Amino acid sequence: MLAQETNELLTQTGPGTPMGELFRQYWIPALLAEELPENGSPPVRVKLLSERLIAFRDGEGRYGLIDEFCAHRGVSLWFGHNEETGLRCAYHGWKYDVTGQCIEVPSEPEDSIFCKKVKLTAYPLVKIGDILWTYMGDPAKRPEPPEFEFVHVPSEQTYTSKRWQESNWLQALEGGIDSSHVSWLHSAGLKNDPLFKGSKGNDYNMADLKPFFEVEEVDGGLFIGVRRNAEEGHYYWRITPWVMPSFTMVPPRGDHPMHGHLWIPIDDENCWVFTFDYQPVRALTADELQAMKDGHGVHNQNEPGTYRPVQNKDNDYMMDREAQRRGETFSGVKGIAIQDSSLQESMGPIVNRSKERLVSADSGIIKARAKLRAAAEALRDEGVTPPGVDPAHHRVRSVSIVLPKEASFIDSCREAAAVSPGVRQTSV
Amino acid sequence: MATTAAEARFRVDAPIRGQRATRVVALDESATAVMRRVAEQTWGGARFYSYEARPHSVETDAELADIVLRTMDGAEARLSEELADADAMVMIATADDGAEAASAIGNACTLRGIMTAGLILGDGREAGAAVMALRPHARVLMRSTGEHDVADVLTALRA
Repeated sequence: MLAQETNELLTQTGPGTPMGELFRQYWIPALLAEELPENGSPPVRVKLLSERLIAFRDGEGRYGLIDEFCAHRGVSLWFGHNEETGLRCAYHGWKYDVTGQCIEVPSEPEDSIFCKKVKLTAYPLVKIGDILWTYMGDPAKRPEPPEFEFVHVPSEQTYTSKRWQESNWLQALEGGIDSSHVSWLHSAGLKNDPLFKGSKGNDYNMADLKPFFEVEEVDGGLFIGVRRNAEEGHYYWRITPWVMPSFTMVPPRGDHPMHGHLWIPIDDENCWVFTFDYQPVRALTADELQAMKDGHGVHNQNEPGTYRPVQNKDNDYMMDREAQRRGETFSGVKGIAIQDSSLQESMGPIVNRSKERLVSADSGIIKARAKLRAAAEALRDEGVTPPGVDPAHHRVRSVSIVLPKEASFIDSCREAAAVSPGVRQTSV
Repeated sequence: MATTAAEARFRVDAPIRGQRATRVVALDESATAVMRRVAEQTWGGARFYSYEARPHSVETDAELADIVLRTMDGAEARLSEELADADAMVMIATADDGAEAASAIGNACTLRGIMTAGLILGDGREAGAAVMALRPHARVLMRSTGEHDVADVLTALRA
């Protein structure tokens, strides 16, 4: 349960809000690199943290993320011409470079310096891995770029997709932290999904439906360990890292790729879910890659030309009662990603947490909320840089492992839960 | 369809019935000091207790199984009686002094189907020992460096 004012603090991310300012301390994914595939690509409308922006790649290959609307009469630059050195408004021809600087006002005299006095808000946009990242905070406090492993392995080892989720970012993130739903909502996926099935860990998962939880605080966020019974004298541990504010990884299964998410607010009632799969030491196989593109594992299929899932609230997520009855899916909804989004969207755009009845097994969520609130307030009141800004905090992995009963998961997995280039993931 | 903001406003706005009956036990002296401060806040049905380890020689197996707790005003209370209508047990520890009590509480809660959680305060060796002591007996363990987590967890649980 959260008081309504705390719920508002955590869910509102527009300019000037405490959580909005927190998000503006980090590099965040703005869009996929595939959305601006070549120099001079058509510009793309992007809304992030309740700000409407336009992303473009000029004719010389520079990326820009600027205010969507022309300074002149407020026309959307999405209609603009993307030219060699900038984006030209379709209405009266004003032209802007990737820094938002107006570089031409055709109606002014040839030698006019007027355009130099016009500059739109602009944010840096850099390609790292398959993602174009932006930083929307104070330029003087811009941190070093992100170091999440999935964007730094060779391109043949990684795959990222994106989907629009019609809910506030926090209820989406909380699904990534909440391990206890897996044995229910995703139970069929453990048996059937090509990117999940066949691991020894799945057997432990399904044999013990009443796991124990441990929550450990680390510099960048949390590690949440979930343990189930394994062979005599041993536990099977699944360890989920959360790096503030919104990076989570799913514990791996067998030799399947590792995967996770970044949950990024579009506005207070929508978010982008950037979903990745990668192998630390080998290329993804053709079958793995095809399965991801087909929407298996933690990915999904989008409506052609968009990032809106084919299964969405307008078609009740193509819920299939017969498949539910046959046990092919637990909720009747196909696919792990949409199983999650369907239920999270069903809560309403911003769930009223003053009405919820949490249980002890929700301790990871309780602690994550407390950390977000503390960080937002410390930033607002004392200017304290929040956890997760330092790229060193990004070098984490999820882990699945069998340990002796007396072993501490956090002490036993320090190496396994840290990025080690060239070293395979620890997975059962 | 509750998936639009407009429709979400029609969610039934009546309080959900039933009050949680949480028991909170501090297992050592430092934990008791924290719990006393937390207990001063307003809570629903939560009851707070401390446990003081007695010299081992005077405790029989029966006494270990049904340990004596102390309420916040110092009165003695038998674990078995205090668990009668409980549905959640939160143990607070800073060290492993209360390992035997954790075991007794964990076993008693398992028998009665009561959910157990452990909050370990601190990050040093003693806290590590507390984690080890509570691990077999708490279905959920959270290690924290700030005592505000005790109140946060109890608030979230509507204790």
